[in-house]
Amino acid sequence: MANIVRDLADSSSYWAAVWTICPLPDVHAICDAPIGCFNLVATAVPDYTDAIPHIENITPSVITEAEVGEGTAAAVKRTYENLRDEGYLEGKRLIVISTAESEMIGSDLADLVGQLGEGSTFFHSESLSDDEWLGRDRVLQWLWETYGAEPAAALQVEPGLVNIIGPTYGCFNSPSDLLEVKRLIEGAGGRVNLVFPFESRLAEIADLARGQVNVLLYKEFGHRLAPSLGQPWLHAPIGMRSTTHFIRQLGEWLGTSDQAAAFIRQEKASTLQAVWDLWKGPQGDWFPTTSIGLAGSRTYVEGLADYLGEELGMPIAFTAPRPRQPGDLDNIGVRSLLHAGAPSFVFGSINEKIYLSEAGARQTHYIPAAFPGPIVRRATGTPFMGYRGTVYVIQEIINRLYESLYTFLPLDSGYSQGGASTQPGNLPWTDEAKATLDEAVAKLPFLAQISASRELQMRVESEARARGEVEVSADLAAEILASRNGG
Amino acid sequence: MTDSRPCQLHPQSMCPAFGSLRVLTRLEGSHPVMATDTGCLYGLTFVTHFYGARKSILAAHLGTAELMAGEVVENTRAAIEVAAQEPGCQLIPVVSLCVAETAGLPEEMLPTRVGDAEVVLVRVPAYAIHSHPEAKDVALAALLRRLGEPEGGERDAKTVVLLGEVFPADPLAIDGLLRRIGVEATIALPGRSIDDMKRAARAGALAPLHPFYKETMAAFRSWDIPIVGGAPVGMSGTVSWLKAIGSLLRLDLEQVNRVAEEERAQAEAIIKAQPLAGRVIVSGYEGTELAYARLLAEAGAEVPYVSTSIAADPLTLPDEMWLRNNGTKEIVYRKSLEDDVAALDKYPPDLVLGTTPFCAIAKERGIPAVYFTNQLASRPLFLSGGMAATIGFIQQMINRSERYEWIQTFFEEEDFVDQGEVPLG
Repeated sequence: MANIVRDLADSSSYWAAVWTICPLPDVHAICDAPIGCFNLVATAVPDYTDAIPHIENITPSVITEAEVGEGTAAAVKRTYENLRDEGYLEGKRLIVISTAESEMIGSDLADLVGQLGEGSTFFHSESLSDDEWLGRDRVLQWLWETYGAEPAAALQVEPGLVNIIGPTYGCFNSPSDLLEVKRLIEGAGGRVNLVFPFESRLAEIADLARGQVNVLLYKEFGHRLAPSLGQPWLHAPIGMRSTTHFIRQLGEWLGTSDQAAAFIRQEKASTLQAVWDLWKGPQGDWFPTTSIGLAGSRTYVEGLADYLGEELGMPIAFTAPRPRQPGDLDNIGVRSLLHAGAPSFVFGSINEKIYLSEAGARQTHYIPAAFPGPIVRRATGTPFMGYRGTVYVIQEIINRLYESLYTFLPLDSGYSQGGASTQPGNLPWTDEAKATLDEAVAKLPFLAQISASRELQMRVESEARARGEVEVSADLAAEILASRNGG
Repeated sequence: MTDSRPCQLHPQSMCPAFGSLRVLTRLEGSHPVMATDTGCLYGLTFVTHFYGARKSILAAHLGTAELMAGEVVENTRAAIEVAAQEPGCQLIPVVSLCVAETAGLPEEMLPTRVGDAEVVLVRVPAYAIHSHPEAKDVALAALLRRLGEPEGGERDAKTVVLLGEVFPADPLAIDGLLRRIGVEATIALPGRSIDDMKRAARAGALAPLHPFYKETMAAFRSWDIPIVGGAPVGMSGTVSWLKAIGSLLRLDLEQVNRVAEEERAQAEAIIKAQPLAGRVIVSGYEGTELAYARLLAEAGAEVPYVSTSIAADPLTLPDEMWLRNNGTKEIVYRKSLEDDVAALDKYPPDLVLGTTPFCAIAKERGIPAVYFTNQLASRPLFLSGGMAATIGFIQQMINRSERYEWIQTFFEEEDFVDQGEVPLG
């Protein structure tokens, strides 16, 4: 069976390497790449994932036809010399990173880097076989082993210190999630030590050894590094129960259980009060009929399925976690599900958004929850993780339901058609025609059915009148309703 | 060319292959299949879904396992079969990128047609094609060679093909003007219609509005279709372009001259009403920078430096000569970020039209700057109407310098709280 990809959701380990290494400000990277692999990873895409103009501490070797024929060593060496001569490398360590193309032409620069200034290293990114998640996992471990483990031998664990492993560039919504996880750690009685790699320097990687506990921000990577640090670790939480468990567990490990318990009590009376109020109010009544589709990182998909599905009781229409494991939906599967009938909400990437557009699913709300796709997520008030995340996510959902309700309210047609409609009331429908209408409406998300039923009815009747009919027949209804997606 | 270019470290171009995807995804009924590794696929799909089309993109998975097993062709063929099932599929461009090209993707191993769809191989390895405009050319030429129907009917002697992706209203304005001089129809390429590709091969003339369509021009030459040089940009450019078309298509020259002079008069009136003042640096990816610079200089701006990602081309020569005679000191092809930054030092400008990294650097210095691709491609450029829109926008940007300075100071000075009013510009 041939392996076909539709709208790839996961990048490669080369991207992972650049996006993990370049946040370290005391590194300069050379990517052994054609111009495209440099531009996409360092400018064109991070413009729209991380909202940065470009990644500054990376330079390409610029593979051209000459390098494809003769190897890239000379180009990398020339790039190094130019960087050195121009002063780019002052106070920095050089890391050379392979790409799919340099691997394709068999360019292994492990020996060459020895000639490129003291301490220069080569990271073979395995870009032809590994995805971005494996790649991040491997490069974090490699950074620790290459730059951290040895000096770390002289360091002691300090009680109360907690490391956060992740994010890197290209991690959806990370500024908000990171801030919330820091808040939870402090609430539980801990102190944040290193945020690796996003707020770290290469020279201080050894400091990871001082952490008493490690928090993995994501389920997708960091699982090689965390155990090798020798201290207990846990995942960052999504949902009310998971967050409560996270705070309790941290308190237990840090010996601050009382403080953790007090923090949970205080949060229930403040931050989480919003979820309680919305549950008690009319908004909560919509939850059982608000169906949710989830595509994105495993962290987000499993976390939201747990919170929205298990805790709040919303029907989960499908889940498509990445990286995919055997049995998980791929994009081909997600696309055919959405074409057949979309849920009330889809959390996902631009891929799902495109599938909704193809399906004409205008009644479905799309909420960005994953890359790929251009989105600014630099405000720190939009977490999905932690207690604040539970409030933010439910607030987003309810506000979009309000938006639906608003668009359902009738607008006097006088404003759009240059004069109020003088059309008479309803036309009679045959039983078969009515059944056709019911069937079309039933395919739509629940809340949307109210307005859609009226809107479709009016459209069919208006066409019937235009054709001089005195009754709506099944054939006419079917014809008009079939053209629905074009409208 | 200047005597001493700075060290070339950071070449500036979108991934070249993106140019081909931009053209291929926007065609109605076209469902591209990509042959490449996952990193490349992710990045190119990302930018295509931002700048190209809302179109799902298929690919053959191409990693170590597939390469070792020699499954490149087999997987690509399988993806083609799936693409052919898309509703209304008439065309399946197979976009072959660096890794597939290095591994080898023999054209004779791919079908040429599946069901109702033509299958066309488009080879755009970034290591061999150096800018994304040039990849547009490769893609368009590949399609035209397959789809063009020079024998499909009568030659439309008074139809002009306008070549180049431009602001959507521009071809309408150009079409309107050309009809006034006796042209009967225009076809805009690349566009959304496959049928346009077929009948373009029977047109009376080709008018490249952008200077990088080498292979596409070769295809038209093979059909004996003559090519009009220059582009209807700015005052002198528009007048000479109209006259060239008039004589090429043997139109009524008196009428052509009358219309050309009206255009000149309108352009003159526009410049007189709102002359530009200020120094502008023009730096883009697209190959259209020289024409823009020429328009700005005609309108009164000082344009000391122009750079582009494409290579020098005979089609850029008229603009280059004109610019050199009108105050431009440096014109750089295949530029790097270092070239642009050196120009920023050398000719401190009032406004930068540039790439995103370069604009960020200019803004860090408190200089107004806009991303060429996003901001200029979204406005009319051609004829007097385009001139008016462009000049208005540029002057507005130049007038905003105080705000750029204010924000720069706010972020750079720790104790800057409130030094006077926020500028209104």
